[in-house]
Amino acid sequence: MKRIMLAAVAATMMLSGIAVSSADGGTLVLATTQKPRHLNPAVQSGIATAVPGTQIFATPVRFDENWNPQPYLAESWAFSDDGMALTLNLRKGATFHDGHPITSKDVAFSIETIKANHPFKTMFGPVEAIDTPDDHTAVLRLSAPHPALLLALSSALGVIIPEHIYGDGQDPKAHPRNSDTVGSGPFKLAEFKPGEHIILEKNENFFLEGYPKLDRIIIKNYKDVTSMVLAMDSGEVDMLPFLAGTRDIARLRKNASIEVTDQGYAAVGPINWLAFNTKHEIFKDVRVRQAVAYAIDRDFIVNALHSGFSTAATGPIHPGSPFFAPGVESYALDLDKAAALLDEAGYPAGSDGVRFSVELDYIPAFAEQQKSVAEYLRPQLKKVGIAVELRASPDFPSWAKRVSSHEFELTMDIVFNWGDPVIGVHRTYVCSNIRQGVIWSNTQSYCNEEVDALLDAAGKEIDQAKRQALYRQAQQIIVDEVPLAFLNTLPYHTAYNKNKVGNPPLSIWGAMAPLDKVTVQ
Amino acid sequence: MAAVESTTRSPRARRPGADAWEIFRNSPTAMLGLVLILLISVLAIIGPLAYPVDPFEIIWAPMSAPGTTERALLGTDYLGRDILAGLLVGAKATLIVGLTAAALTVIIGLVIGALAGFYLGMIDEILMRVTEFFQVLPPLLFAMVLVTMLSPSLWVVAVSIGVVSWPSTARLTRSEFLRIRNLEYVTASRASGVRQGYIIWQVILPNALPPLIVSATLTIGTAILFEAGLSFLGLSDPNVMSWGLMIGSGREYLLDAWWIVTLPGVMIFLTVLGVSLVGDGLNDAFNPKLRRR
Repeated sequence: MKRIMLAAVAATMMLSGIAVSSADGGTLVLATTQKPRHLNPAVQSGIATAVPGTQIFATPVRFDENWNPQPYLAESWAFSDDGMALTLNLRKGATFHDGHPITSKDVAFSIETIKANHPFKTMFGPVEAIDTPDDHTAVLRLSAPHPALLLALSSALGVIIPEHIYGDGQDPKAHPRNSDTVGSGPFKLAEFKPGEHIILEKNENFFLEGYPKLDRIIIKNYKDVTSMVLAMDSGEVDMLPFLAGTRDIARLRKNASIEVTDQGYAAVGPINWLAFNTKHEIFKDVRVRQAVAYAIDRDFIVNALHSGFSTAATGPIHPGSPFFAPGVESYALDLDKAAALLDEAGYPAGSDGVRFSVELDYIPAFAEQQKSVAEYLRPQLKKVGIAVELRASPDFPSWAKRVSSHEFELTMDIVFNWGDPVIGVHRTYVCSNIRQGVIWSNTQSYCNEEVDALLDAAGKEIDQAKRQALYRQAQQIIVDEVPLAFLNTLPYHTAYNKNKVGNPPLSIWGAMAPLDKVTVQ
Repeated sequence: MAAVESTTRSPRARRPGADAWEIFRNSPTAMLGLVLILLISVLAIIGPLAYPVDPFEIIWAPMSAPGTTERALLGTDYLGRDILAGLLVGAKATLIVGLTAAALTVIIGLVIGALAGFYLGMIDEILMRVTEFFQVLPPLLFAMVLVTMLSPSLWVVAVSIGVVSWPSTARLTRSEFLRIRNLEYVTASRASGVRQGYIIWQVILPNALPPLIVSATLTIGTAILFEAGLSFLGLSDPNVMSWGLMIGSGREYLLDAWWIVTLPGVMIFLTVLGVSLVGDGLNDAFNPKLRRR
């Protein structure tokens, strides 16, 4: 009996040893190749700033893995009945890292700063005024209902920065404290060595009792993906978010102590696509664009090129978004149909089988998603008589310059949804965003007033079901008119040491959200 | 005039050629190099005709190992393109880049070195400072800048390699000219009032050629390696199949499919080896004394 008891105790001890304990403390080492210019997400978009930025700065709300807003700096919130105002009730007793209380004035200042300086103009575009009736209440007054507002007030986008530091009249984009931050979030900046590491220490006075669990986060910079993946494989680092190389994913999958998950990227919504310059002589004809879409085999891209880790993209909205419309035309491979459309458009095959020649650009980094797919399109489009010449760009800025100045015929591109369609989707399609010199604007020069009206209405519709219906209509038209041939979603994955890391960040914002609940063994 | 011409010709111009071939022929390594180069040239010329498969066409499942399918004897790359077709078509591009770059190197180097070595004085001073300027720039970095500025295409790559590699040829030419310009037959030509251009190109140059031929041959090998290096860094023409391109875009798959980079790598190795062996053989043939030492 005693022996059995002992065995049971031993077993329990072993079990508790294997199961990740919820003990506080410890250091999480996170790997990245991204180099942030600074750490203030209020004036800078992108993963590089958002991962450390969301640890340093808190946001009014945060989202769980099912797109539900959760209280964070705001204890509660309420929209007015007409949807023209949002009242945020802030937590009492919350302080910045320097001990100053976080008040509604700071919230108003932060939103105004973001509205004036952040590249995503649509986030707070409809916010006309922010009232601060008392220190813990902020009322955002809108010029039109803005259903994306809560998302814009969440991780990675709506960070609250201290007015007494950043409101001193200096240009917020070049503020010296952007790299020497005073934040409001679960972790304080301890050391920022650009290109080497960012060390974040626990904020002992964090406004959520009992959090953060970790003592320290080290964000370690690697020069290249290969060495970063090797470091993850050898256990040198604990977590590696935003991993997109399919062979790297497969490699880490083989490691028994590493868990690799594709959860946590619903809000990022990255889509790989082939963009047409719809002002170009050949591609202004919708039949030509449809023919190209019918000639591409997405199955090959997803399964052969990306080993099945990416998924086919069928429309402008990422499949992880609640506004994704399944069942719109998906342009299944049909070479005969493609040839017929090209004939109809007035491009008969010549004696050598060629109908016309075009140039295809691609982003020079990220070969597996860009160059390899472009290399695949060359022989594939030749099957329907389109001769494709690849136009290599020596670096990202030269590609961005060509595309943003509309000097291209076809280009590969990767664009993020950034949570709500208002933020990351509208910009690619609305007529008003056809702008010279701005990358990831409507560089296709696609303009359809009906789509504009639908997107505008959807951007103001508070009722979720009606909003979904409007987006569905818009997606249908966009897919029919093919300003872009949608190819695949990026296979972003997070790898983490499953024996060590507890509560990995799997909400819609993944690692671009506070890691206050994460534990290490 | 005809009499002058015949006397100004170097007395050693014709006979040593036959001797040199004798020495070259008797060197097994030199002959091995020659055979390698001939084989690869034949491959480049008739290969694509005998095996007419588009190297860009996807013909089979990606990353099929060599010998696993009859459709692609040497396997397929990460897109399912035929490696054998790539090797055959790529040989041409690789050789074109190598030869063009070497020709350009020799032309620029020869003109600058010859003028500097013959005229001396201010001209020499200026040309040598220019040469030094190019010599101190790291060649690979300089070529990368050129290719980046002019967008990667086969000719840009070839010209860039030529433009960065000429200084050593120029220096070699200059030193040969410095040696020969004071020899008696050159003085004799000068004394008989022969035009300077004639002395440079018809009198001195033929006698300075042997070491230049050796250096030009070796330059071909360097240029091929250079092209592979640029391709490895992603700076090559994606529309022209070359061995460098195959290695450059296949390197990410080395762990999963060794043949994608290994086979073109072996081809580059054999070509450069062949060129180097021939270069060494020529060196021995032109400098028999050096060899015996």
